[in-house]
Formats: sequence, C-alpha cells, structure tokens
Amino acid sequence: MKEHDLTLGEELRRQGISRRSFLKFCAGVASSMAIPAAMVPAMAESLAQARRQPAIMMAYQECTGCLESLTRSFAPTVENLIFNFISLDFQHALQAASGDQAVDAIKTSMKENWGKYLLLVDGSIPLNDDGIYSVSHGQSHLDSLRELAEGAAAIVSIGTCASYGGIGAASPNPTGAVGVDQIITDKPILNVPGCPPMPEVMTGVYTSFLAFGALPEVDSLKRPKAFFGDTIHDRCYRRTFYDQGKFADSFDDEGARNGWCLYKLGCKGPITHNACATLKFNEGVSWPIQSGHGCIGCSEPNFWDKEGFYKPLSAGQWGSAEGIAAAAAAGVALGAASAVMSRRNQNKISGGK
Amino acid sequence: MSDTSVTEIELDYESKRLSVRKPEERFDVQGDMSDDERVEKAMVNFAKDFGRVAATYMEACIHCGACAHACPFYEASGDPRHTPIWKLEPFKQAYKREAGPLAFMYKTLNLKPKVTVDELKDWQELLYDTCTLCGRCTLICPMSIDIATLVGMARHGMFHAGLVPHELYTVTEKAQKEGSPLGATPSVFEDRIEWMGDEHEVEMNVNEDQADVLVLMSSIEIQKYPESMAATAKILNHMGKSWTFRTDGYEATNFGMLSGNTGWQKDMSMKVISTAEKIGAKVVILPECGHAYQAMRWQGANMYGKPLPFEVQHISEFLASAVESGDLKLKTVNKSVAFHDPCQVSRRGGATPAPRKVLEALGVELREAESGGNLNFCCGGGGGVITIHRADTLRYKIMANKFRQLDATGAEMMVTSCSNCRQNFDESGEKLNWGKDMNSLLELVAENLVEEGKR
Amino acid sequence: MTLLDFARGPAMQIAIIIFVVGIVWRLVGVWALPKKKDLSEPRQKGAWVGGLKGLFVHAWPYKPFVPKVGAQYIIGYIIHLGLFIVLIFGTPHMLFFADIVGFTWWTLPGGVITAVAVVTTLALFVALIRRLVNPVHRLISNFDDYATWFVTTAPFVTGLMTTMNMWPDYETGLAIHLLSVWLLLIYFPFGKLMHSFWFVVSRYTTGSRFARRGGMA
Ligand code: HEM
Ligand code: HEM
Ligand code: SF4
Ligand code: SF4
Ligand code: SF4
Ligand code: SF4
Repeated sequence: MKEHDLTLGEELRRQGISRRSFLKFCAGVASSMAIPAAMVPAMAESLAQARRQPAIMMAYQECTGCLESLTRSFAPTVENLIFNFISLDFQHALQAASGDQAVDAIKTSMKENWGKYLLLVDGSIPLNDDGIYSVSHGQSHLDSLRELAEGAAAIVSIGTCASYGGIGAASPNPTGAVGVDQIITDKPILNVPGCPPMPEVMTGVYTSFLAFGALPEVDSLKRPKAFFGDTIHDRCYRRTFYDQGKFADSFDDEGARNGWCLYKLGCKGPITHNACATLKFNEGVSWPIQSGHGCIGCSEPNFWDKEGFYKPLSAGQWGSAEGIAAAAAAGVALGAASAVMSRRNQNKISGGK
Repeated sequence: MSDTSVTEIELDYESKRLSVRKPEERFDVQGDMSDDERVEKAMVNFAKDFGRVAATYMEACIHCGACAHACPFYEASGDPRHTPIWKLEPFKQAYKREAGPLAFMYKTLNLKPKVTVDELKDWQELLYDTCTLCGRCTLICPMSIDIATLVGMARHGMFHAGLVPHELYTVTEKAQKEGSPLGATPSVFEDRIEWMGDEHEVEMNVNEDQADVLVLMSSIEIQKYPESMAATAKILNHMGKSWTFRTDGYEATNFGMLSGNTGWQKDMSMKVISTAEKIGAKVVILPECGHAYQAMRWQGANMYGKPLPFEVQHISEFLASAVESGDLKLKTVNKSVAFHDPCQVSRRGGATPAPRKVLEALGVELREAESGGNLNFCCGGGGGVITIHRADTLRYKIMANKFRQLDATGAEMMVTSCSNCRQNFDESGEKLNWGKDMNSLLELVAENLVEEGKR
Repeated sequence: MTLLDFARGPAMQIAIIIFVVGIVWRLVGVWALPKKKDLSEPRQKGAWVGGLKGLFVHAWPYKPFVPKVGAQYIIGYIIHLGLFIVLIFGTPHMLFFADIVGFTWWTLPGGVITAVAVVTTLALFVALIRRLVNPVHRLISNFDDYATWFVTTAPFVTGLMTTMNMWPDYETGLAIHLLSVWLLLIYFPFGKLMHSFWFVVSRYTTGSRFARRGGMA
C-alpha cells in the first residue's frame, strides 16, 4: 500500500492541488480556530510533512446522521482530501468489508498502530444491563469502547450522542446511554457535539491534530474552544432584532417573514455553543435560524429534555404543576395551625380570656 | 411605695398646668415584683392585644421611617428614638416571638429574643413621655399603620408590669380611688357648681333623677376652667333642654385608658354609663376634652360590651347641631380666629367639621393654620404627657412649633375645644412668653348667645 | 444536570412552592387571629368604601409631608415602577409569565429595559445608602431590611450582568440570575417583602376603621 506512505504534501501534489490553494485552506482553518495568521506558513509546513494518521471510527448507538454530515461534500475540496487522508481502517458504513473480515481489520489496525491511532466515535453507549442494548458482532459497545480506547492516542467523540449521550440519553433514557467521556477517563478526549456536528469543525480538528500532533484547546465540556467559544446568540444575524425587541410570534407571521428574532418561538441560541451561526451548513449555504427555525440547542448536553424546542428559554420547567396547588393547601394548613398555636399560646400566657 | 403615699402626693394648684407637684424623688416603677414577674405581666397583657388588627399593623411596617417626620416629638427633638414605630419595638418583638404566624420560627431559632425588663424600662419614656396618641404618624405612613392604637395597647402591658411614669400613675390611682385624677371629688364638684351658679347667675341642675341630657365635665375644667360649667349650663338652659350634672357620674377623663389599665378604664366608663342609664339620658355631652371623646364615643361601647343606649356627643358636636337646626342663634364676632383641633376629637374622633360650623355661625374669619384640621399638629400635651414633669422640656419645644404655626395665621384670637390643650397652651405660653391666650369654643359661644327678643 | 437546568427546573419548583406555602401561611396566620367587633355607633355607613379609598390615599403623602418625605417616595416609586416594568415588559420575563398564564403581551425593547434596570438599581443603592446613613433609618433597621434589600437588588444586578455578558459564560450567568430570583421568592414570605400583601390589608383596615369614625388616617 504505497499510498499510505505519502506525506500530505505529496498527496496534494499528486492530486494536482496547488500550493496557493493549500495555503488558503490553511489560512481558513487557522482563522476559524483563532490561530494567529503569522503561524499559517509554519502550520502549512508541518501539515505538508504530516503522514497518514491511522484512525478507527466506531459507530455505536447512533443514526448515521453525523457521518452523513461529515461526508456530504460534493466538490473535491481540500476538506475532502483531508478526510480522505485519514486512514480510516474501520468504518462499518463506509467500508466494503463486513462480518469477520471487518472485525479482523480492526484487530489488525489496533495491533499495528497500538498507542498511535485516533479513535473516532459516533453514537452513545448504553450502560444498562451490561450494555446489552447495543451490540455488534457479539460484543457490546461498552466492551468494544473499552477495548479500543486502551490503545488509542486520543478519542474524538463525533456528534452529541457520542459526546453527551444525545437522543439515546433523552428522558427516560431506557438504555442508560452515556457519552464516551463518562466511560473513558484516562485518554485525551475531544467532543465535537452537534446533531449533526459541523463538518468544518471536524476538518479543523483533524487539521490541527495533523499539524500540531495534539488536540486543540477545549472548554469545560471538552469542545474545541475555537468553534464552541461563542453562543449562537452571540453570532446570530438576527441579534439586532432581539436587541430591538422585534420578535416573531409564530412561524408564519409578519415577524417571521421579516426575519425577526425567534426567541419567543423557543430559540435556544443564547445558551447554545456552536459554530453554525458563522460557518453555516452545506458549504455556507444556510443554517437553521436562517431557514426560519429557532436553534434547538443541538450541541448542548440534554438538549432534548428542556420541555420542548418551542418553549421560550426564560419559561420555567415545571414538570407538573400539581405542586403549586399542594403548596397553597399546605400554606392554609400551616397558617391555620400557626394561628391556632398562637391563640393557644395567647390564652396560655394571658391566662384565658 | 404604698398606696396611701401615692394619693397623698399633692396637686400643684399654682401652676397653670394641673398635675401632681414635681416629685423630689421619682417612683417610675410600681409594686413589688421581681424582674421576671414584670416581664411576664407585660407579656400577658401584650398578648391580650395581639388580635388580627394589631397583628396586621405589626406585620405591615416596612421600616421606611416616614412616621418620624409626622410626629411632633421627633420633629421637636430630632432624636431617632422618637420615631413612632420605634416606640413599639418591645411590643412588636413580643408579637413576633409569641403570636405572629412565624412565632414558632422566631422562638425556636431565637431570632427575636425575649423582651427584657431593662428594655421595658427604657421604653417607658418612649411609650408615655413621648407619645400623645395623636395619630399624626398614621397620616404619613405608607402602610396606614395606626401607631397610636398600638401605643395604647402597649401601655396595657406596661401598666401591669408596674412601669408607668410616676405622675401618670399617681393621678390614675387618684382617679380610680377618688373619682377624679385631679382632686375634683364629688363634693368639690358640687361646691364648684354652686359657686359658678352664683357667680354667673345661671341655674344649675344637679343630680336630677331624670334628664334627657347628662353633662360630663373634666377635672381640668372643674379645677382650672370652671367657667365651662357655667357656659354649658347657660347654653342648655337657653335651649330649654332637660339636663343635669350628676355627682355619681361626671368625670369625663379616663386615666385608666391613658395609663393602660383596661379594668380601671372600664370602671371609669361604667360610672358614666350606668348613671346615664339610671336617669334615662338620651344624650351624654362630653366636655371640651379630647381623650374623653375617644374613651366614651369610640371605646365606651366596647367597655360596656354592647352598643350604648344613648348618643354620645362632644360639646362642639352638640353646639354644631344646635346652630344648624336653628335652636341656637349666635351674635357675630368680628374677629379673625385660628382654631387648634384637638387630635382625639378631630383627626381621631371625626368631629372635625363641628367646630367649624360653630365658628361659621359666630361669623368669625377662620384662618386655618398650615397643616390644620385633620392634619393638625398635636399640642404635645395629650395622652397623659402633660402630667409628666420629665416630658416638660420637649413639650415646650413642641409648643414653640405650635405657636409658630398659629402665629403665622395672623389671627387675632386663638380657639380650641379641649381644656387639656388649653392648659398646655396657657402654661407653655407663660413659659415661652407667647403673649396670647387660648380660648374655649364653648365659652365663646356662651358669651355670644342671642337672647330671645333682644337681638 | 447543568446549573441552568437546575435553576430552570427543580430550583424553581422548590422556590415557588416555598413562596406559595409561605405567603398563604403568613396571611392565614394573621387572618385567623381573633378580631373584636367594634361596638361603637358608627358616624356613617359604608366602612368598606373607606377601606377601598384607604388603599389609595397613602399612595402619595399629604401636602404638609411632601417636603419631608417626597424625595423618599420618589425613590420608592422608581424602585417599584422599575421592578414592575422590567418584570412585566421585559421579553424574557413576559415569556416566563406567559408560560404560566397562557397568553403573551407587548414588551419593550431590550435597551429600554436595560436602561430602566440601571436606573432602578441605582435607586436601590440610594435607598441602601439612606438606610445606612440616616439616623432614623439606621436605628429602626434590622437584618430583615438589609436582607430584603439584598434579595431585591441581586436579580437586578445579575440580570444586567447577564444581558451585558459579564459572566464567564451566558448559561451560568442566566442560571445565577434565576437562582437569585428564586432566592427572592424563598425569602419573600418570611420578611418584609410581604408588604406587597400587607399594604392591602393594613390600608384597608385603617381606611375602614376611620371611615366609620370620620376624621382622617
Ligand atoms: C421570573 C423569573 C425570571 C426569569 C425567568 C428571568 C429571566 C431573565 C432573562 C432570560 C433575562 C435576559 C437576559 C438577557 O437579556 O440576555 C433577564 C434579564 C433581566 N432580569 Fe430577569 N428573570 C426573572 C426574574 C427577574 C426579577 C424578579 C428581576 C428583578 C428583581 C429580574 C431582573 C432582570 C434584569 C434587570 C434583567 C436585565 C434586563 C435587560 O437589561 O434587558 N428578573 N431575566
Ligand atoms: C405591589 C405592592 C407594593 C407596594 C404597595 C409597595 C410599597 C412599598 C413602600 C410604600 C415602600 C417604602 C418606600 C419608602 O421607603 O418610602 C416599599 C419599600 C420597598 N419595597 Fe415595596 N411595595 C410593593 C411591592 C414590592 C415588591 C413586589 C417588592 C420586591 C420584590 C418590593 C420591594 C421593596 C423594597 C426592597 C423596599 C425597601 C426599600 C428600602 O429599603 O428603603 N416591593 N414598598
Ligand atoms: S434567533 Fe435565537 S440566536 Fe438568534 S438572536 Fe434570536 S434568540 Fe438569539
Ligand atoms: S442552530 Fe442550534 S440546533 Fe441548529 S444546528 Fe445549530 S446549534 Fe444545532
Ligand atoms: S401618635 Fe402622635 S405622638 Fe404618638 S407617635 Fe404618632 S405622631 Fe407621635
Ligand atoms: S411610616 Fe409606617 S411603615 Fe414606615 S416605618 Fe413608620 S410605621 Fe413603619
């Protein structure tokens, strides 16, 4: 397999991609990741020297939406190439092999690249009943993850499910699904949440891993700060309407047609950290808020469980309202009791009458 | 201090203000009780008053401090302790600890500590010397808290704890024992009626068995302004009323109420009520005395335990209805007049329009003082304060404010319809060289009756 | 569960339950105390009309008192109106209540709300300073007065900090804002914030008592 030995630079040249467009790409990635422009040539240099990075991509309890998002690139872009440059030794949906053959491929790759490979995970991992709810080739995903993680240099959790449990973990979470970092604690882990995650984020992460040999700086939820530092609300093009108090009251009213803020319709932009407000999906064509729907907070833990996507952010999460009626009743009881007590006390100290 | 020594303390007849002589040694604590007993007594009697109304008021205060600026005492002294609501601090503390809805919490966590005897002693001055129960603070309070009523309640506990100022206690005990706080015993009363009858050549009705109108007098009038007896008699005779004075029920003042002994307050009121019942009175006329009006008109029925079987009128109300009905015709007095409203009759009594009707009938030019009428600034002598020598300095200061306000009207003549206010004006006027007299509305009317046929 | 989820969910529920229990408790506790009937002959009928009037007459001081307490009342009005405007006409706040009552209403632009909130916060600080400096206020103030001030001011400050993005991150800021509001609700029934209920009871009581007497209160 000769191709495997080429550096990224050689590969690019082989594909006929000019140095100029490569530099442009590097500048783009650098700016999206807040890497100083002065570092771009050095970054390009080290990137060109990079060798193929062995990687294993495991799909656990998932919907394949993440993969769809990552592979939906139509033009032969540099991004594509970067993806392709990663030596995906296992991805069950993409590879031709299946069954024992496929499992062997993993085993081989693990052995060859022990301690060096990147483990990419999408999908959550069920914990209930020893993880029996999600099994491939006779092995529970829980065991699979533990095994693969052991020899990994680092783990990237792709999508909200792998990061935080996602829809699998949504209430009532019958399978006890969790994200990778709830199970593996002794490896560098990077979360790229989003439902689906943004391909550009993946590119950026791979690129910087290739160039610098390490995962980028992360926030408290292990997300690369470069992409998840701002909230949707911070970057939203509808923000001026928020500030002016101009809101759409329904999806088909005047406000909605004028492109006003979607806060009243339940937009979770203010508490959602993601990059779609600036990078957009489908190569910058559009993104959810641009198409008229509020942010549902897809890159945040438990975004399914905030009492509905259309409930405004400032509205409370009530569970049930019975508590209030019970509280009023309890108040009456306590009040009456305290009055009885104080009447009795009054009688006691004032000796009756 | 034994009971006899109290009543033996001499009254001070020389002063224009009638009280006991300035004591050489003060006895501001009565009875032989241990400190614990005192506190307990105070609590027992505080607790009796913790009903819904008092509780509402004590819950409602937001500590905004506005009330300070309405109180004549704070205005005169600038002492923050004279802030009306502060005067109630131990009472409030006891309420919160013993009776409020959260009492349980306050008590178990000791958030509101038990009231101590030292606190009660400290508060004697605040509850007695520096509150006339004038109710002006209620006007300014954003929560409309009736502090005067609460101070009246707090005095109940103080009395039973034996913590009444010397002079006030003395006169109260005199009143309970002798029928008058200021030496106007029934025999003194009878003598003075006779004297006034002779002096003014008016027919006096005394101890009639039956009469429509029972006339009361206050000790201050009997002793210091006996002309009011003559004036009242003259007017009632002139109107041809069936009326009488009664030696078994004449004293209008109620020091039981002022000092805080509800039992005595009831005794004092019941004397009058049973006399009125006995003679079949339809109307009881209260003299020119502010707190007497409060005691009988508004608290009388509550002492009696049922509605009173007669009507209660302040003399100014009686005169007002007489001039309105045309039963009484008055000569025109060509003078400008400033009227000092007695708090208990006007603001807290509701009879504010009455004296104005009478003054209108007299044809005087009424010049209302700044903050007059219901907003009137108290003279600083009511609520028993005038009896207390300790309170004199502050009382004069209040009066200085009062004089300024009245002088500012430029009126030629000063009139009021409370003899307690009047003696305060006269005494303080002498002290501060005011140079004016305070006149009685009643006497002014009596002097200006239009005799039938003469005109 | 994140801090924000905690604040929006369980913390809110607990706070509201304490709020409701506490208020009912305190109101019923006073209402159920004995009340003596006033047997005196009323001067006039319709004490309840006086009671209703009584709710309003003390909304502004009588003329002779204006020079003394007018400024204090103005500060008071700024605080309460500011509170009202921010709470009722701020969009996020409206949506909170709309979620409960089931309908929405017109709101003010964020900038206006921010300005009102800043003025209100300043007024609260003026009130605090007055309380600390004025001898009358200093004397009569107790823990409750300062606690009340704190729990009222905290949501203003945290709300403004949230709007102005002054927290390390927005969610935490919002969560802190909400928690400060729940603190207000929890403290409410136990301190003088209950004046928002007592003022009705107390003013009505005095208004009706003095309506049957005449006079003035
Ligand atoms: C009932 C529960 C409440 C909820 C759910 C709530 C929620 C919010 C939210 C979501 C914001 C928006 C922040 C932003 O613009 O980014 C906010 C702002 C604010 N809140 Fe609240 N809040 C509540 C109660 C209160 C209370 C009781 C107060 C005051 C005592 C208060 C004072 C403020 C202030 C001053 C702001 C800043 C408003 C601005 O400048 O636009 N909030 N609140
Ligand atoms: C709706 C009925 C309410 C009425 C009629 C009312 C009335 C008042 C009044 C008259 C004052 C005294 C102002 C002064 O110092 O002159 C006051 C103070 C205050 N009120 Fe209210 N209030 C109401 C509701 C509220 C609510 C809902 C809150 C808070 C959540 C609140 C918070 C405060 C605070 C913190 C103070 C004290 C300011 C200081 O420390 O001086 N009020 N209120
Ligand atoms: S649409 Fe959502 S993200 Fe955009 S300004 Fe409105 S609330 Fe913020
Ligand atoms: S707008 Fe919100 S919900 Fe939609 S993709 Fe972006 S982060 Fe996810
Ligand atoms: S009733 Fe009059 S004297 Fe007493 S505290 Fe109030 S204003 Fe002052
Ligand atoms: S004016 Fe009323 S509310 Fe204010 S401190 Fe005085 S009693 Fe309390």
